[in-house]
Amino acid sequence: MILLDTRELDHPIPLEMAVDAFKTLKSNEVIHMIHRREPIPLFEIITKNGGRYLSYQDTDQLWHIYITRDGDLEALRV
Amino acid sequence: MFEGLSLDQAPPISVVLRFFLSVPVFGIFLSVLMMLYPTQILTVNHPLSLAAIHLLFLGVITMSMIGALFQMQSVLGGRPIPAPLGNAFLIHILFSVGIFTLAGAFITQIAPLFVLAATLLGSGIVYTVFLIIPLLFKSSLHDTLRGMRLALISLFITALLGIVMADAYAEGNFSTFHEAIRATHYSFALIGWIGALIIAVAFQVVEMFYVATPYSDWCKHNVFRIIPAALILKTLWLFLALPYVWVFDLLLAALLMGFFTTTVRRLRERKRRVSDVSIWFWSIGMGLLFVSLIAYGGYLWNMEEVILQIAVIAYALFALSIILGMMGKIVPFLVWFHLSSAGYMDAPIMSHVIPLKRSQSLFGLFVLVCGTAVMSVLYPPLFILTGVFSFALFALLGYNLIQALKLYRYTLTHGTRFTLE
Repeated sequence: MILLDTRELDHPIPLEMAVDAFKTLKSNEVIHMIHRREPIPLFEIITKNGGRYLSYQDTDQLWHIYITRDGDLEALRV
Repeated sequence: MFEGLSLDQAPPISVVLRFFLSVPVFGIFLSVLMMLYPTQILTVNHPLSLAAIHLLFLGVITMSMIGALFQMQSVLGGRPIPAPLGNAFLIHILFSVGIFTLAGAFITQIAPLFVLAATLLGSGIVYTVFLIIPLLFKSSLHDTLRGMRLALISLFITALLGIVMADAYAEGNFSTFHEAIRATHYSFALIGWIGALIIAVAFQVVEMFYVATPYSDWCKHNVFRIIPAALILKTLWLFLALPYVWVFDLLLAALLMGFFTTTVRRLRERKRRVSDVSIWFWSIGMGLLFVSLIAYGGYLWNMEEVILQIAVIAYALFALSIILGMMGKIVPFLVWFHLSSAGYMDAPIMSHVIPLKRSQSLFGLFVLVCGTAVMSVLYPPLFILTGVFSFALFALLGYNLIQALKLYRYTLTHGTRFTLE
């Protein structure tokens, strides 16, 4: 699992980091992004390029986003 | 909880850039007028002054804000504007021709031009409002969306009153309500349309872009109730010619002062104090808002027209400052986003789309425009210099936008797409 904790980073750095990680992602790898908001534009980039994602809100300012190509995201469901 | 958002909502890049690219064109036209007719433009209610005001508030400010709305509605509203290419084309044409016609009408005083301008701009605004408002009512009740709703309704009211006034100008026949109509027209434009939309945007971007503390819930919930209440009551007072109408101006000024204070505090206390040109624009924008409010308070006290001019100029520059700061963020984001969505491996990183030096130069020119514009109220010939700096500002803005578009197109044709194997 590749961990990206972007909670303290200014926009647009979190999006660029996530997309950069996604570009080199291996088939079964999963990116775990921790962010303070739900990065909706990121989801469009991921799905248009053959990836999948799951997003989960923990608290008001805490989102967990899981991104993969072929990995099992169902196992991550809370 | 897993969100099931419908994706593929962002409008094509041309939808937003179409509006943004028109801004420097109107800005340059406005700058030429400032260089040629400085004294007339600084004379309240002079036809050239009215032409300049509408070029600024419609051609520069509203054009930017409509472009941004197309993007914001899809991202924040979750319900994209339907047929964005066709609708943006139609709205943009109606606005562009309408704004030039209105400026031409004021400059030449040819009566039919007022009617044509009212028809074009009225159609453009009514069409825009009826296109976007239903989408906002069907969305969940988000504070920023409520602000966008208020802004669009205010724009609609501004347009209706504008049509009535254009008709009066065309016929040369002003009713007894003309002053009340005029005051309501600019109150809804300045506070209901421009002010509410900037506040709504601030609620989103100050927190998101700069990792700042969110605005208080009280502030978010109530600001879009207080603004329309004060505007509606002010309108009633104006049309019924009741005394103490300034109380509503004071209420709105106090509210904007609250917005200034909370925003400045958030910008100062942000978690990562990374220097960014857009922060500079937000900061100077807040400073201009403060100057405008203090000057307007002074005007309510002593009714000196010079002080009112400072208030209006500072307010317009406050709006322009936020717009320039936001454009510097939105345009690189759009270039990066659309290239990344299309799978381009070598999509430029956002900070490379508009190089830092050019962003800083834009800010430097803006500071020169602000300084000379405010001082020219006291010494009108200085306004020629404001026109020169403003010309350079909008020329550089146009260059930045065109270069960003060229970079986007170059990557589309020469870039390599990443493949997932």
